[in-house]
Amino acid sequence: MSGSIIDLSRQAPPDRIAAEVCIIGSGCGGGTAARLLAEAGHEVVVLEEGRDVIGAERTQRDGAMYDQLYMDRGGRATHDLSVSVLQGRVLGGGGVINASDVVPAPEGVLRHWAAKFGLEDFAPERFQVFQEAALDDLSASRIPEELVNLANDKLRQGATALGLRGEVMRHNRVGCRGLGTCLIGCPVHAKRSPRMVALPHAIRAGARIYTRTRAVKIDKASEELKEIKVRVLDPGGYHEHAELTVRARIVIVAANAIASAQLLLRSGVGNDHVGRNLTLQPQLPIIGIFDERIAAFDGVPQSYAVTEFEEEDNAEYGLWGYRIEGIMGTPGIVSTLLPLSGAEGMRAMAQYDRMAASLLLVPDAPSGQVQVARSGRLTIRYAQRRDHQERLRHAVENAAKIYLEAGAKEVLVPTLPPLTIRTAGDARRARELGFEPATAPLISAHQQGTVRFAAHERDGGADLDGRVYGTRDVYVFDSSGFPTSASSHTMTPIIAASRMLTSKLLTRTQDADSPAAHPRMYAARPSSSQRPPRRPEAPMIESFQGALGLACVTRAGHSSSTWMDCVGHIMHASRTLSSRSGGMA
Amino acid sequence: MPSTPPEESAREGLFSFLSRRRFLKAGVVAGGAILGVGGGGLLALRGHAPSVKGLRALDAHEYRTLQSLVEAMLPKTDAVPIDPASMDLPRAFDAFLADEPKHNVEDLQKALVLIEFGPLVFEGRLTTFSRLAPAERAEHWRAWALSDNLLRRQVSIAMRKFLNLVYFDHQEVWPYIGYPGPSMMRSTAR
Repeated sequence: MSGSIIDLSRQAPPDRIAAEVCIIGSGCGGGTAARLLAEAGHEVVVLEEGRDVIGAERTQRDGAMYDQLYMDRGGRATHDLSVSVLQGRVLGGGGVINASDVVPAPEGVLRHWAAKFGLEDFAPERFQVFQEAALDDLSASRIPEELVNLANDKLRQGATALGLRGEVMRHNRVGCRGLGTCLIGCPVHAKRSPRMVALPHAIRAGARIYTRTRAVKIDKASEELKEIKVRVLDPGGYHEHAELTVRARIVIVAANAIASAQLLLRSGVGNDHVGRNLTLQPQLPIIGIFDERIAAFDGVPQSYAVTEFEEEDNAEYGLWGYRIEGIMGTPGIVSTLLPLSGAEGMRAMAQYDRMAASLLLVPDAPSGQVQVARSGRLTIRYAQRRDHQERLRHAVENAAKIYLEAGAKEVLVPTLPPLTIRTAGDARRARELGFEPATAPLISAHQQGTVRFAAHERDGGADLDGRVYGTRDVYVFDSSGFPTSASSHTMTPIIAASRMLTSKLLTRTQDADSPAAHPRMYAARPSSSQRPPRRPEAPMIESFQGALGLACVTRAGHSSSTWMDCVGHIMHASRTLSSRSGGMA
Repeated sequence: MPSTPPEESAREGLFSFLSRRRFLKAGVVAGGAILGVGGGGLLALRGHAPSVKGLRALDAHEYRTLQSLVEAMLPKTDAVPIDPASMDLPRAFDAFLADEPKHNVEDLQKALVLIEFGPLVFEGRLTTFSRLAPAERAEHWRAWALSDNLLRRQVSIAMRKFLNLVYFDHQEVWPYIGYPGPSMMRSTAR
């Protein structure tokens, strides 16, 4: 039996949908699980908030693509606007809008997880088979030399001249034409993303995929039959216009470390670990400006990485240090990362075709939290640690030296105030960067850790099978479970982890008509006295972080209320006076 | 219970304290300015805004503030000699807001009020953003990005995120920044 993709925004939705397994999220974690479970004969339904944007609809234009492919229309950010949080909202998830980098979890990280967190299934000798399967899913290969564009080659030239270790990266493109807009969707589908691999397999095996559906609450999480409350969105994905219920025995949450935690918190499901231990891996762009035309917007945007400063087996944190990777975006998104507006901003953008940019990818220790207020609004709290700032300063200094060595006339560090580096000696000024909140365009593309896997409930939000503690067959199969940064790029580890966890689930369900027949799957729950207290249920009001992140303006801290109260009073006074004066004001 | 590293607990607390002081101080200034000028004075300061047809989320005053902001942020220069008025970015902003949740619309409207009365609130000048001369307005807006005040930086970032993205997505700008346009469009043109 073949399944299908059903866009519920374009038809009258049913009141109820029933399935054996309901998967929330269609990206690397959810798509992989959907494929394996459907191929094993299970009845699978996938819920995806985005829609299926394919082919010519991928217009390579900033406005339309950030609006349609990214969560909160590209505007998701931390509570103080210090970090932009990039998260896919499209069928295929983050795999559709990432830079296509294939970087498996290093052995050092896996050993760290096994030793420090008791994640024995992630030990290299056990996890290797799943990483290899993930590489196969991705058709992983080294980026061919002809696709390394001049911008990435400048990074390589500078690093090589300075004797720094680096590499041409592996990717998951097949038939790449170097069109340059990987971050806003490949119009020729060269990426072997879940949209092009896992989901077609899942559909062929009978999975039903419902797009423009937003899961807002999981009810009866400790009972055999769960109920997922779902809101159907309009075709643009802006407004909710209908509601339905999905009933399923098994629920797999794979909506990314932000949205998975958000859903569990809104549902009052799980223990006090849910939402905590967030890592964002904040990255800082840095721009080398050359006299010659670089045209970084053509070719593969990210193909070379300087790995000299990366630690893969830090005893305390696992992945540590930093790496420097070439990158480029379309004009709109690049302009948002530049520090100043006005004539200075225009002068900077006039050099767009002479820019070669990098991202300074600095792994972080868990220091963030996903929160959902009683009103339903999402808040991503994140405090950049001093050790992160310190490594970021080192990274800026070294990246600047690399670009200068490669012939850049200057290097722009897009902080507030901006730092322009013209000589190797100037690069020392990076050591003075303060990184106060909202003074640097930090970007997070790899959110992890909000429902940490742990062998014991006291240490994490989900067990070693991915089952959320305190539930019966509600699982997380995505980066939410990673206790620390899995890799510099999370696509491969997420697919591998989802494969491993789905494989365990299948082992528990094989040879039976019903999953309820399996005692391991329905492992005894702790008694109510052992369970941590449930959170109060959040109201089911939909929460956006704020399309421009401006939602955060009023929540910069409780202390900002004084400020915004004043603004509110001004607005109120102005409007009252306007109405009294007949709208002439 | 999971715990936050001690270093971070302290750091967050310190920032909260600084923020509170900063906001309280600014709040006192703003409150003083409002008291000093009074409601009628605010009305007079803001002045008349020409009506604009077809707006879905903004009113005429908010639209005018955005127009002034666009002039300050994305001016016609030798490097990019495009008049941003030709793009009507405030209307694009209005269309964007119309599809946003109510609380986001309210937040953005508050930000626009803060921008309009910024010269009064932050500099104690009896004027508004839209009344400033272009050079003064550009300098005033630059100070938002470089301010010690977190809230002003946040407003600056949020406005830049939207307006820059939409402006540089316009085809007429591309020749001045050396961008030949989306690669698929180029291959079709060939």
